[in-house]
Amino acid sequence: MLPEEMGKVTKRFRWAFAASSVVFLAVLAVSPVREHLRSWKRYERDYVRFAQTRPDTKRLLADFRFEISQIWIPKMDVVDRCTTCHQGITELSLQDSTVPQPFRAHPPIPHQVRDWGCVICHRGQGLATEVRDAHETTLAWEQPILPVEYIQASCGVCHRSELREAPRLDRGREILARLNCVGCHRLQGVERPAMLGPDLTNIGSKVSRAWIYKWLKAPRTITASDGSTEVNGYENEDEPRMPKFRLSESELVALSGYLSTLQSQKIQPYKFDPRVVAAWEKRPDLLEQGETRFRQMFCTTCHSLAVTRAGETKLIGGDIGPELTKVASKVNPDWLVAWLRNPQEYLPHAEMARYRWSDQDLFTVTRYIEEKLTDPSLLSDVPSLGAPNPTEIQQGKRLFLEKGCGSCHVIQRVAPQSDYGPDLSSLGRKTISQLEFGNSKIPRTLVAYIEAKVTSPLSVNAAARMPQYALNAGDLAAITTALLSMTGSSEQAGLEGLILPSQHATFRPAGAFAELYERYKCYVCHRFNGYGGTLAPDLTFEGSRAQHKWIVDFLKNPQTLRPTLTFRMPQFNIPTEEATVLADYLTMVMQTPNVNLAGTDAKAFTPQMISLGKQLYDVKYQCQSCHTIGSTGGYVGPNLTNVGNWMNPAWVEEWLKDPQSLVPDSIEPRRSFSDEERTALTAYLMTLKQSGSARPASAGRGQ
Amino acid sequence: MKPKLIIALLLVACASLTTACHKRLATEKPDPLSHAYDSEPDWNDPQRVIPLNYQQAQGKRVFYHYCVWCHADSTPAGPSNRSNLNPMPPLASDGSVLNSLSDDLLRNTIALGGSAVGKSALMPPWGNTLKQDDIKAVITFYRAIAQPPYQPPARPGPQYSVR
Repeated sequence: MLPEEMGKVTKRFRWAFAASSVVFLAVLAVSPVREHLRSWKRYERDYVRFAQTRPDTKRLLADFRFEISQIWIPKMDVVDRCTTCHQGITELSLQDSTVPQPFRAHPPIPHQVRDWGCVICHRGQGLATEVRDAHETTLAWEQPILPVEYIQASCGVCHRSELREAPRLDRGREILARLNCVGCHRLQGVERPAMLGPDLTNIGSKVSRAWIYKWLKAPRTITASDGSTEVNGYENEDEPRMPKFRLSESELVALSGYLSTLQSQKIQPYKFDPRVVAAWEKRPDLLEQGETRFRQMFCTTCHSLAVTRAGETKLIGGDIGPELTKVASKVNPDWLVAWLRNPQEYLPHAEMARYRWSDQDLFTVTRYIEEKLTDPSLLSDVPSLGAPNPTEIQQGKRLFLEKGCGSCHVIQRVAPQSDYGPDLSSLGRKTISQLEFGNSKIPRTLVAYIEAKVTSPLSVNAAARMPQYALNAGDLAAITTALLSMTGSSEQAGLEGLILPSQHATFRPAGAFAELYERYKCYVCHRFNGYGGTLAPDLTFEGSRAQHKWIVDFLKNPQTLRPTLTFRMPQFNIPTEEATVLADYLTMVMQTPNVNLAGTDAKAFTPQMISLGKQLYDVKYQCQSCHTIGSTGGYVGPNLTNVGNWMNPAWVEEWLKDPQSLVPDSIEPRRSFSDEERTALTAYLMTLKQSGSARPASAGRGQ
Repeated sequence: MKPKLIIALLLVACASLTTACHKRLATEKPDPLSHAYDSEPDWNDPQRVIPLNYQQAQGKRVFYHYCVWCHADSTPAGPSNRSNLNPMPPLASDGSVLNSLSDDLLRNTIALGGSAVGKSALMPPWGNTLKQDDIKAVITFYRAIAQPPYQPPARPGPQYSVR
């Protein structure tokens, strides 16, 4: 090669080098440019520009740094980079809905967003810095963001007890327990009760084969024309706890045949006093008397009846026991009498109280039920079945086990299949790959899976054994929320110290009181030391509140003057000796250390105190806005006409100091009375006594 | 042949229209449970449902526990104590009364009682019973359901926002 030619070549090479270096430079620049264009940087630059348009720019940019910001909570294994883009999340001035996302502030919530971050509640990927990775399910990430209507599920991960601030979660947990989901599934925080469905060992002595057939086909007796029922105007569909099992005609025949043969004990007809029976024939007004007694005894506090008013059928009454509108077409008359006399003899776990009956009352009330709470056409659509043959019985027994009936219903000497349904105690943590969608058309997300499974089990799996529930939209959302909150035990989630455990309490008294406590089932409605129902007042401190004589009188003849109450304490016909035993125990044991009964002596009240108290009541504090004395005043709080006979002065004084220390959810506002005012008000209130039998009593709840 | 086809087409069209209408009617009926906690029907027009955010929903909860008995005409228990009182307390949704009162005044009235702000002593003080956050939440709930609607005052000027 000549030296002159070398220059030419060099020139050509130079061009090649130049071109290749440009290409190299471009290739090398891709990475920094891509880094520069990453979406979080774009959002941060946008935020700075946006902040400059706001009047409070200085404040908005005070803590701003051009970098990824991160919240790390090692105990919960959470790394949260959401605030990198959601820069304005805690800026009060950015709460307006006109502020563009992702800069808008979070609405106020009890937890500090800067401390807890976003993913603990909203789920999604806290580590991601790309919009799609953070919010959606992608190949690498399985946990999408939780739809906001189920957000309360995240509250339930740490708050295992009732949480008033999260009503949808509470409702969901309540339905899971009420619908007996624990019969087949293991659930987090829902204990298996002593009895789920009724014991069927002796069901053949209670109902006919035709009724069983009808019930198994569609377990509902009251249906309005539009297919819905309403309870007290609050719920538009009160789902019976028994779901639909999609049984074929031959399965219905076999199962009803088998169950109707379960008659381990024959019901012995009760022999009424012949005079009572004879009087019935002569006096047609006794039917009316039976109805009156039925109402006076307040059966409707626990049981509901369908009432048609203005063309609309509504269930009126409580939901502790079954609804009774057509009960006489369901049960055998001899069984009904035996049940009313002693429910626990037929069903040891029954929640129904054992009333004290006179023959007259028992006879007229059962006659009223037989003649009025009946529907002769109830079973008209059931084919004639006759006595079951041995093949049907054999097949029915097999079906009882195969269909999972044994998970809720006990039949003595029939062992159910254990762990019938899958364990759901960590369902809320499951990833898509752990769920079986089969060939279904459901979107591949956990939320869609739970919704579909609860709405219609067959939509997920055509061979599903789970029965069909008919939930309304609100309850469906509530159940989904509660199931999503179940993320397994705290050890697995690494949440030690952050879980607020659920509280369980039992109250088991002893002695003569215990016998009556069980007989009248006080705990079904009342609460004792955190155990029992919430329908009626909490009796944990009843001994500090009420006077012995008042309790005895009340138990013998419970009544209330609170016009806002729909449920009243049933009339159990408690004799004086039993009422005394109950009052003795309540006054001796159910006391609070905050109230010193010996500390306040009603005799020490002077007339000056009483007149000052009356003035404070009427003028300064105007207590009459909520309380009634005589015939004037409001009816938010209890009627005080007889408070001098009802309450202990020490209780009244402590109550005026701090009502919520005695009844935590009482709505009585805590006022700042001086000691003198408090004593004066107590003195005045203790003079309010009503003589005679028409004694006001408060069986009211705190509201 | 043709008239038959037209009639058939018309029938199909009618059927689809009626089912469409039926569906719409069914979905328009508000479901009280699904809207139980995070929305409130307009008190003057129950068909209109007002969505509530977290704070307003907490306000609704507090309102229906403590306040509803005197500041509404129907209560969860049925009758209301409102007509029983003289002077009659304002309805919680009455924007013509509440809209002109500032958040601070409402907060004081609730916390300190009617007599502290020159109103009726029938309104007791709730400051010892309710938390500050509860009171704020109740006020946001009132603002959300107000009829005529509540207009927040103009945003405070820049002199308030400089730290």
